[in-house]
Amino acid sequence: MQEHILSILIFFPALAAMLGFVIHKDSARAYGITVAAIEFVLSLVLWQWYNPLGGMQFMEMAPLISAFGISYLVGVDGISLFIIILSTFFTLIGIASLTEKRRIKDLIITLLFLEMTMVGVFASLDAILFYVFWELSLVPMLYIIGAWGGPLRIYASIKFFLYTFTGSLVMLVGMLYMAYLYHMATGSWSFSLLEWYRLQLPLEYQLWLFAAFFLGFAIKVPMFPFHTWLPYAHGQAPTIGSVILAAVLLKMGTYAFVRFSLPLFPDASVAFMFPIAILAIIMIVYTAMVAYAQEDIKQVVAYSSVSHMGVIVLGTFSLNVEGISGSVFLMIAHGVVSGALFLLVGVIYDRRHTKMMSEFGGLASVMPRYATIFGIMMMASVGLPLTINFVGEFLSLLGFYKQSHAYTLVAGTAIIVGAIYMLSAYKKAFFGNVTKEENRTLKDVNGTELLGLVPLVIVAIWLGVYPKPVLEPINNSVKAVVQLMHDKAQTVEAKERIPDLTHSTQEAH
Amino acid sequence: MEITLTHYLVLSTILFSIGLVGVMRRKNMLMLFFATEILLNSVNIGMAAISHYRGDYTGQMFAFFIIAIAASEVAVGLGLLVIWYKRTGNIDLDQMTSMRG
Amino acid sequence: MEIYLYIALFAPLVGSLFAALFGASPKTLITGLVASGLLFASFVSSALLLGHVMNGHIVHVEMMTWIATGDLYIPFGFVVDQVSVTMMMVVSVVSTVVHVYSIGYMSHDKGFNRFFSYLSAFVFSMMVLVMSDNFLGLFIGWEGVGLCSWLLIGFWYHKESATWAANEAFIMNRIADLAMLIGIFMIYWNLGSLQYDVVFAHIGTLPLAVTTGIGIFLFIGAMGKSAQFPLHTWLADAMEGPTPVSALIHAATMVTAGVYLVVRSNPIYTLIPEVGTAIATLGAFVAMFAATMALVNRDMKRIIAYSTLSQLGYMFVAAGLGAYWVALFHLMAHAFFKALLFLGAGNVMHAMHDELDPFKMGGLKKSMKVTWIFMTLASVALAGIYPLAGFFSKDLILEVAFVEQHYVLYGVLLATAGMTAFYSFRLVALIFHGDERHLEHGIHPHEAYTFMLYAMAPLAILAVVAGMMFKTPYYLMVSELLPAAQYHIHNHMTLWIMIIGTQALVIAAIAYAYKKYAKAVKVDLKVESGFFYQLLFNQYYIPKIYDEIFSKPYLQLSKIAWKQIDLKIVDAMVDGIANLIYQTGESTHTMQNGNLSSMLRWMVVGVVVLLVLAVAFTVAYNNAVNLHAM
Repeated sequence: MQEHILSILIFFPALAAMLGFVIHKDSARAYGITVAAIEFVLSLVLWQWYNPLGGMQFMEMAPLISAFGISYLVGVDGISLFIIILSTFFTLIGIASLTEKRRIKDLIITLLFLEMTMVGVFASLDAILFYVFWELSLVPMLYIIGAWGGPLRIYASIKFFLYTFTGSLVMLVGMLYMAYLYHMATGSWSFSLLEWYRLQLPLEYQLWLFAAFFLGFAIKVPMFPFHTWLPYAHGQAPTIGSVILAAVLLKMGTYAFVRFSLPLFPDASVAFMFPIAILAIIMIVYTAMVAYAQEDIKQVVAYSSVSHMGVIVLGTFSLNVEGISGSVFLMIAHGVVSGALFLLVGVIYDRRHTKMMSEFGGLASVMPRYATIFGIMMMASVGLPLTINFVGEFLSLLGFYKQSHAYTLVAGTAIIVGAIYMLSAYKKAFFGNVTKEENRTLKDVNGTELLGLVPLVIVAIWLGVYPKPVLEPINNSVKAVVQLMHDKAQTVEAKERIPDLTHSTQEAH
Repeated sequence: MEITLTHYLVLSTILFSIGLVGVMRRKNMLMLFFATEILLNSVNIGMAAISHYRGDYTGQMFAFFIIAIAASEVAVGLGLLVIWYKRTGNIDLDQMTSMRG
Repeated sequence: MEIYLYIALFAPLVGSLFAALFGASPKTLITGLVASGLLFASFVSSALLLGHVMNGHIVHVEMMTWIATGDLYIPFGFVVDQVSVTMMMVVSVVSTVVHVYSIGYMSHDKGFNRFFSYLSAFVFSMMVLVMSDNFLGLFIGWEGVGLCSWLLIGFWYHKESATWAANEAFIMNRIADLAMLIGIFMIYWNLGSLQYDVVFAHIGTLPLAVTTGIGIFLFIGAMGKSAQFPLHTWLADAMEGPTPVSALIHAATMVTAGVYLVVRSNPIYTLIPEVGTAIATLGAFVAMFAATMALVNRDMKRIIAYSTLSQLGYMFVAAGLGAYWVALFHLMAHAFFKALLFLGAGNVMHAMHDELDPFKMGGLKKSMKVTWIFMTLASVALAGIYPLAGFFSKDLILEVAFVEQHYVLYGVLLATAGMTAFYSFRLVALIFHGDERHLEHGIHPHEAYTFMLYAMAPLAILAVVAGMMFKTPYYLMVSELLPAAQYHIHNHMTLWIMIIGTQALVIAAIAYAYKKYAKAVKVDLKVESGFFYQLLFNQYYIPKIYDEIFSKPYLQLSKIAWKQIDLKIVDAMVDGIANLIYQTGESTHTMQNGNLSSMLRWMVVGVVVLLVLAVAFTVAYNNAVNLHAM
């Protein structure tokens, strides 16, 4: 089983989703929870078996179109392992705390299918396979937003689909061209990433290919100025859709930066570092301001999620071990925290069917447990030490400080502007007196909701206090990536910017 | 004056242009067929000429193919035309708008 | 000894978690008792550690790894040395007293259990702050106390002003924290470690510019926590929290964290005396600036808060001039008498049904005798009269300024000392002497619970004796770690003139305050409508200015960013592109009108275009190849 664990992880939910059609709709929820729980346990087993010191593991390979070197090639390393676990974890939590009443069976089948595509994206080591899962993941999300969403759901879902689809088409062209270059260089076709890693491209090719990949990834992240699909998607999506979207789907973009852009195009990464850092900084500060102006609490969380993604991008392009490890860790952290915040917003939406902050106020006295959990997650979101976000944010900023002091200073305002919008939103919703009559009788969080929230709180604090089990495997895999980048780098600047780890610890200078 | 490849190609081009104008300007379906024949034959001339001057017979073989295909095309096309005429009473191109997008 | 370290550190955390278990339920006395008991355990452990350290041993433990990636390695490491044990004693003594006091003070509050949970969590964070052996560990505590301060200022969350003040405090501190993070980044990328011992051992190898940068950024961090100008406005607003919180957090411990940071980083600041001078200058400015605001304020707690601010200025003067042990000593002495002053104010507030304007009180010494004595003692100590604590610590700072030949600073501090005495006794006189003005408002004051007074007693004793008794042993202890400069004025004549002069000034100020306020209070309209009075009363209009140039524009800008930029430009552009494509389709679908002849024409056009393109590209390509070949 050990050698096929990844295939099992990918296809088990899909098979279960097929079987789900014959399940009676009353038992659909139980069925969904069972399947997601098994899948989650399997992913934990994967972690258990994973050797933190090794490179790519659990690789499986089966040729699909051998004439063009396209194959079913999967494997995990420290970078993808935890995002896979994050996907299975959130699918489980999402299904377990599902409060949706309409067409629950369809929803669960969709979610299980989505789980397959998510795990598939993060496990793929073949560009075409990656692309297939990447695009497939759009379909269930489109369906979730379009079928269970709010009044503007059709507009939102079409915008979501077309926008991300356009980006990924450009990415596909980039992939094909990359394979063509590989063919030119070696005489054989391959779409395997591990083969591509060995290819050393001239700078001008790198720049164009980087740009093509970048567009696809940036829209997914979503980076400024490609972010506007996200508020609509979040605004219209049902709670479960927002949770999965924020927690996992956005990570595909940043994950792909680490998996594709950095090791394939080290020189281009260095060349584009500062432009991207500027975009990331705009993302951080500008969306934080936009979040502050929002009147709808879900939009606050949505924009805050964009703002934090900016820190992840910044950490990724710090191009050193500290920063990249931090950004990969922050992907997990951001998943946990923003997923939890969306769940929390869902709780209040279920009760009042409104998300406007002006409708609330004084909730702390009516729903103390809810206010406490929200408070913890808010503090995690503003990056308080000993919560999960701090580790990632600190390392990301620390890493980028090596590249540029001034940029980091500006990007660091994330911790200020983040506190501003979060605290003022919390104040509006939870503090003060209860002004609306219908808020007086609101029920505190119930068992089903706690089932989803409590594990998230535990993870948020546990990994904040003791990040080592996650950080260590990430660190080892990131080291490999950085070393590869350094070895492949050709320009003088790139050689300087990307540290050489073989000389072990940097000397104090 | 010796007749060179250029002369053949010029002839072919002139014929092709005549055919093209015919295709674009004519409204009568039957005239359109004639124009198409001119187009095809202009290409035939070009092919045969080049084939001759290069000493490669592939071009001439293709010219035969085209003649055969043109013949069958005319056979099928005229058949359709007759049916169309029986149905609508004319073969005016502007009346054929059932493929409006 | 390690076990005591862990007890001192984690007992408050256990207390906090225990109280949190009952967080949502109504008052259960047990939470207060357990939390206080655990705090006392922490105090006893700290005392044992103090004995250990005084014998010259240092306890250093590394509990576990926290963050390790790349070359970065940060453990949860704790060190009990001469400096941190001093802070631990201060924190544990004051917090034990405040806990016991709070059992009485908060006894009628709905959020009793919640309060103890927050308060103990604060003590834990503070312990982490002072005991940590690396900069990032300090940062944990730094942010932790910020969080607890946010929770406790906004404890009465139904009050708009309280939650506003809480957010203001948190955000303002965050601004400073950013600078501190930058300082930490600089240290890491230049020295490769964040452990104090490594950093301090190698700091001398860095270029001076880098060291200066580190020093400045760390100090900006300290400015936020210690509420130094221009980040000071939050401290006065923080008085919205319950009074024990003001005593513990906003007087004795948290606000002194900035001083602690500078003292702890003394190897850095020793290398950059210019920055030290700047710190001292800012400190002297803040001392004066805050004291002037305290002169006219009409809110009891705000007056004490400004006095805290002023005293923090004193500490920074000492630290900036390199007299680290003096700064730390004043920190300790100040913690005792200022906490006492706040707790006394808490008693008065309870008696007065939360009235804060001292002009509506008076003559309380009859009904609240013990509180009167305590507050007078604390004020005398604050004024720096021999032989109370303030004399030994505060006057020492004056001497430091004199010996270091910063006569301007000395003059400012001296003037401030006079003001300090005046506003302290203005407050005491207004509250405890004169007519019983509160009777008009139908308030009948009563003394606080006896156990609360007993709880305050240790602080009263310390306020009296701390200076006299602790100075020598303290000096002997910390001089092993801190630069051990003695600040003696060698000319005996000068020394005596200074001491007597200062004492005389202070006593005169006290006498003036009593004369003016102890009998009938006359409101001098002419003075009150004057420019200076209004300027001081409105806190130099700084809060208003901040509101006008930061808060409001930020909100406006945010609204513009959302409504104008995000919706109308960025998003509209995307929709515009989509619309453009759609419109193109709309307008060109007439091409497919079904008319065969026009479709044929379009086909011909297409073919021609393609042909032209093919020819053009071929020619261009051939040219390029030819050029290349040449």
